[in-house]
Amino acid sequence: MGERNFNIPASGYLDALRRNGVDHFVTVPDWVQLGLHDRVEKGVEGLSLVRCCNEDQAVCVSAGLRIAGKKPVTVVQNQGLYACINTIRAVGLDASLPIVFLVGQFGREFSNFGQEPSLSSRNTVKLLEPVLNALGVKFWRLEDENDLGRIDEAFAYADKESRPAVLIVGAPTGWN
Amino acid sequence: MNLLQACTIIENARKDAILVATMGAMFAFDGIKAAQPRISSVPLMGGAASLGLGLAIAEPSRTIIVVDGDASLLMQLGGLTTVADRQPVNFVHFVVRNGAQFSGVANLATPADACVDYAGLAAAAGYRRTYRFENETALAAHIEEVLGCVGPTFVELRVVTPPPIPGAPMKMEIPDLQFQRMGMEARTLSAWLKDHAHG
Repeated sequence: MGERNFNIPASGYLDALRRNGVDHFVTVPDWVQLGLHDRVEKGVEGLSLVRCCNEDQAVCVSAGLRIAGKKPVTVVQNQGLYACINTIRAVGLDASLPIVFLVGQFGREFSNFGQEPSLSSRNTVKLLEPVLNALGVKFWRLEDENDLGRIDEAFAYADKESRPAVLIVGAPTGWN
Repeated sequence: MNLLQACTIIENARKDAILVATMGAMFAFDGIKAAQPRISSVPLMGGAASLGLGLAIAEPSRTIIVVDGDASLLMQLGGLTTVADRQPVNFVHFVVRNGAQFSGVANLATPADACVDYAGLAAAAGYRRTYRFENETALAAHIEEVLGCVGPTFVELRVVTPPPIPGAPMKMEIPDLQFQRMGMEARTLSAWLKDHAHG
């Protein structure tokens, strides 16, 4: 049996975003998702890149796009999610706008890949899921390529419930 | 000029532009019964410009008017470059400069009001046009030009602050509406945009 590969290809993410009708990639760049950023920076047909200075802005830009009928994905890292909690409260929870996030687990130890993030020794990693639970924001882990279907689940949930949804990118995306 | 005068001039020239307002301006627009299409960034200081940017990207043939507060803008100064990066031609960003937080209640000083140059910041960030108006006569004389020019456009409005009434708001609970209205307005605005889709 081969070794488990935690580096989900960027092309797998793009396929999933495409089949979910995503048209805007709203982001504060994330180290974990550099492979995906690289592809989007080079240009992906039908996917417009919106660069933001911080995550509050990324959430609000995504909100404006959603209100006007577009389908953005908001791409940040764990530190950025911590930084924009009040904006998620206002836009995602109080205003019930279906903001879907890809959140990279920056700082996660390689030995923690495929393990419980709560076992990480690093706060930036192990606090993410408890913080989302405290907010009442549903999340899905993306640990290997078999999890890509969870992107479809997250978008379906966000659309149906009109709630934010977070996809946690557990390991660096592949550049392929 | 006072806030009501400034907002009335903007509203009278708005036509079907989408209005995104926050804080004191939001209440001023309520007072003059500004109707759809509009949405408020509340309670969320600093969110208006980015909310407006998302709308501007999605609705390139409509004018988006953001009416921000000075303390709100200071919370998201980097947002000026987020706007500038996209160069939305349909984006007009007003900032109500009254130099006070909790205006008309406590009038707590806004940082650097004695020296900051908001229009200068916007120009340096990459806004295409900037204006600064000190009185209602000048604003009224230029409002059509402001709303008609190729953006992103930034407009600094010097507005006088009413005297404080310390203690007054503490007798009134913040109403539920304050926390519900952004969502209600978002749904109404979405429906309005569908009904008024450009062919």
